[in-house]
Amino acid sequence: MKQYVLQRFLQMIVILFGTSFIIFFLFAMLPGDYIDSNINLTPQRARELKALYGLDQPVLHRYFTWLGNALQGDFGYSLKHQEKVLSLLNKYVWNSFFVAIFALLLTWSIALVTGVISAIKQYSWFDGLVTFFVFGAMSFPSFFISLLFIKWFGVDLQILPIGGMIDTGSDSTGLAYLLEVGKHMILPVIILTLLSIGSLTRYFRTGMLEVIRQDYIRTARAKGLKERVVIFKHALKNAILPAITLLAFELPGLFSGAIIMEQIFNWPGVGRIQLESVSFRDYPVLMAFTMFLSCLTIIGNFLADVTYAAVDPRIRLK
Amino acid sequence: MKKSLKGFVSVIILSMILSACALDSSSQKESSAPAKKGNTESTSVKSTGVKEYKATNLAALPEKAKARKDMFIAGISAPGGVFLPYFYENGWDGNATDPIFAPLVNLDKGGKPVGILAEKWEVSDDQLTYTFHLKKGLKFSDGSPLTADDVAFTLTLLHDPAYAGYQDISLAAIKGGKEYKEGKAKKIEGIKVIDKETIEITTEKVNAKSLLLLGGQVLSKAYYGKDYQYGKLDYLKDLYPKPLGAGPYKFVKYVPGQEIRYEANENYYAGKPKTKNLIFKVIDTSTSLQLFETGELDYAGFSADDDTVEQLKSLGFANIQVGPVNDFGFIYVNNSRPQFKDKEVRQALIYGLDRQKIVDVKFKGYGEVANVPVSKVSWAYDDEGINKYEFNAKKAKELLEKAGWKVGKDGIREKDGKQFVIRYLTRTAEDPIIPIAKENYEDIGIKFEPEIMDFNALVAKLNDKDYDLAAVSTSQILDPSDPVEEFATNNPNNAAGYSNPKVDELIQKGLNTLDIEKRKGIYHDLYKELNENPPVILIHYRQSARAISGQIQGLNPDNYTGISASLPNISIKK
Repeated sequence: MKQYVLQRFLQMIVILFGTSFIIFFLFAMLPGDYIDSNINLTPQRARELKALYGLDQPVLHRYFTWLGNALQGDFGYSLKHQEKVLSLLNKYVWNSFFVAIFALLLTWSIALVTGVISAIKQYSWFDGLVTFFVFGAMSFPSFFISLLFIKWFGVDLQILPIGGMIDTGSDSTGLAYLLEVGKHMILPVIILTLLSIGSLTRYFRTGMLEVIRQDYIRTARAKGLKERVVIFKHALKNAILPAITLLAFELPGLFSGAIIMEQIFNWPGVGRIQLESVSFRDYPVLMAFTMFLSCLTIIGNFLADVTYAAVDPRIRLK
Repeated sequence: MKKSLKGFVSVIILSMILSACALDSSSQKESSAPAKKGNTESTSVKSTGVKEYKATNLAALPEKAKARKDMFIAGISAPGGVFLPYFYENGWDGNATDPIFAPLVNLDKGGKPVGILAEKWEVSDDQLTYTFHLKKGLKFSDGSPLTADDVAFTLTLLHDPAYAGYQDISLAAIKGGKEYKEGKAKKIEGIKVIDKETIEITTEKVNAKSLLLLGGQVLSKAYYGKDYQYGKLDYLKDLYPKPLGAGPYKFVKYVPGQEIRYEANENYYAGKPKTKNLIFKVIDTSTSLQLFETGELDYAGFSADDDTVEQLKSLGFANIQVGPVNDFGFIYVNNSRPQFKDKEVRQALIYGLDRQKIVDVKFKGYGEVANVPVSKVSWAYDDEGINKYEFNAKKAKELLEKAGWKVGKDGIREKDGKQFVIRYLTRTAEDPIIPIAKENYEDIGIKFEPEIMDFNALVAKLNDKDYDLAAVSTSQILDPSDPVEEFATNNPNNAAGYSNPKVDELIQKGLNTLDIEKRKGIYHDLYKELNENPPVILIHYRQSARAISGQIQGLNPDNYTGISASLPNISIKK
């Protein structure tokens, strides 16, 4: 195991360097850079600014400058926001994280329960209703559902806030602040849950169905074990295994921000920052953020493999 | 069993088809009526002037709004947090800093200069020397005095070689500015502080826009100049989140991505504003109407359309203004390409395009066709003697024939063996110009190929002159010279590649005098020449709707400063 971990770790480092190289070059190949987006500049002024920001250097040179700084922990300065990239991302990424993690917890708990019960009671009323509801939630575009809920709960019933993270002009701290943020978080979390619950429920349902048809389940029943023990002790454990891989891949999703939801609910998350940095060619922010997500993906992948092996004695890691 | 099932199913399907047809036809009937409405109303009152709808029922004010007695909340889209004029990179930060920093001179409702911190100013007879007289007893919000030294400091700062912001002070051509920037002089010769309240600035080139360039927002020398070293401006970054100015409101707090809070400045020269608290709330246009409806906002702007205006009117507690926006939309034509060199061809492109239809589709009655390259609210707007280029495919075909473009096989015109193909760059696939231009141009024998790309890529291609036609709209027009300057032959931003000596002369003349009446005449001549020999295809003027909560008094949004000019006068009806 230890040897495997070490090997994977070294692999990860190599992959990260390679990724950073590819990302940098891909972004640099996009036509137009940050200075170009301001059409009011005279070419002379544009040249001055490009020199000041180091944008007139050849791409390879810029890459190594960026790499050197990054290894020292300096991810540069956002051209658009005029502040350090790390502090900029830090301001916003936690807001996205908290909504994402609550949505994740909610999605997984609900999907697990409904998926398993649907599988046990396949083709029953419950199964049919859940399938209908789940496909419905999955089919609605996110902006449509968001605006609809805002209208119902924010404008018509006026029981939930329309957007933002805190009440306008609020100075609350401590518990009052947490409650306020929590209230504002209700709609975003519900929307995110509704959108991802569909696929996950079906996944659990299918996984469970497959396991229930296995021979050892028949054996367990034949042995006279209680149905509850058969399902929850033997079947569920086996059905959940592939879900571990899924869970590990949720890791980058926790930090990447939900762009549409954040825009509609004015949630100060990192999604908008990311989108803006692409349209404005804000290289420092782009690089830092993309590298961050790549890191998380690679780590997530690694964790998935390791946990799977730890949990399933049938797997041997090479 | 099976037979009856088949029959049953076929009955169901048949009834569904029939009902769908019925639905279709009824919806078709409904849709034809509004379309007609749009066509006729576009030439009526709706498209010109400002329409006002007063609040009819203040009792309908939402509870949240009624509870606010000393706070005004307006919306802002996406501030970046750089609260320092001249240094921010995001236009919304400009809105955010307007209440904090006051300029010497600003524009009034009609676009003419008016003194804010400056009591009066004189321009020498040669129109090169500006003398500003500050009002007496000016103070920054922390009580420190504002003097001519602060003005001198602000202008000198903009000449620093490390200054990387958007303001190009070299356009004002202050005497000695270039030498200072190159390190050859220790201070700028042309900036002379006469006394605490008087500053004299000498420029080397007459420029009608210099007054605003020199009279911009004033930065405190004591606060922003404390650690100033020539060529090192990094220290300012620490001050971005802590602004200090002489505007009507002082900065209190910024909650990133959420709101910016301000408090009335008791040291404001015109007296402490009546409304103690100001908040700019970060909003998204998709929910701004809902936020206004539930009383979360006191003021919001919307793109104008019937649904929005009707809904705002139905609220009852809103004062609504529907009026023209200070910009215009147009299509760039690449004059440097051989097929566009003849002015007949460019005229044909305008005659051959149904611009009225484009405006109707895009703005649904809240826009009109543009024929003059300046907005309708500018003092320079004058369409007397201007050819309206009404849609006329026949005339377009005649002009193209005259220019030597004969219709070849498959209906596309040819000249010297080359087909007339137009590559049109645009930002979105929903651009209404695409289907309309395709149909119109193919009718007159030109092949039309749209290409969709993001804004930065489009701008890059414009600058490299790698396009045939490209759709853009101008930003807010502060001076009538702004949108036409780029048509001068030697202007570095001449993306249209246009060259016309008469136009070059008139553009120069327009900037060579500060007399507005004289400039009006010059621009009128310029517009007539640009109309006869068009560099681009002008498309639209548009309108927007502004809603103000009924309990807010004294707010008069205008086309040059938005709400900034009347911000100090806002009061809330008790």
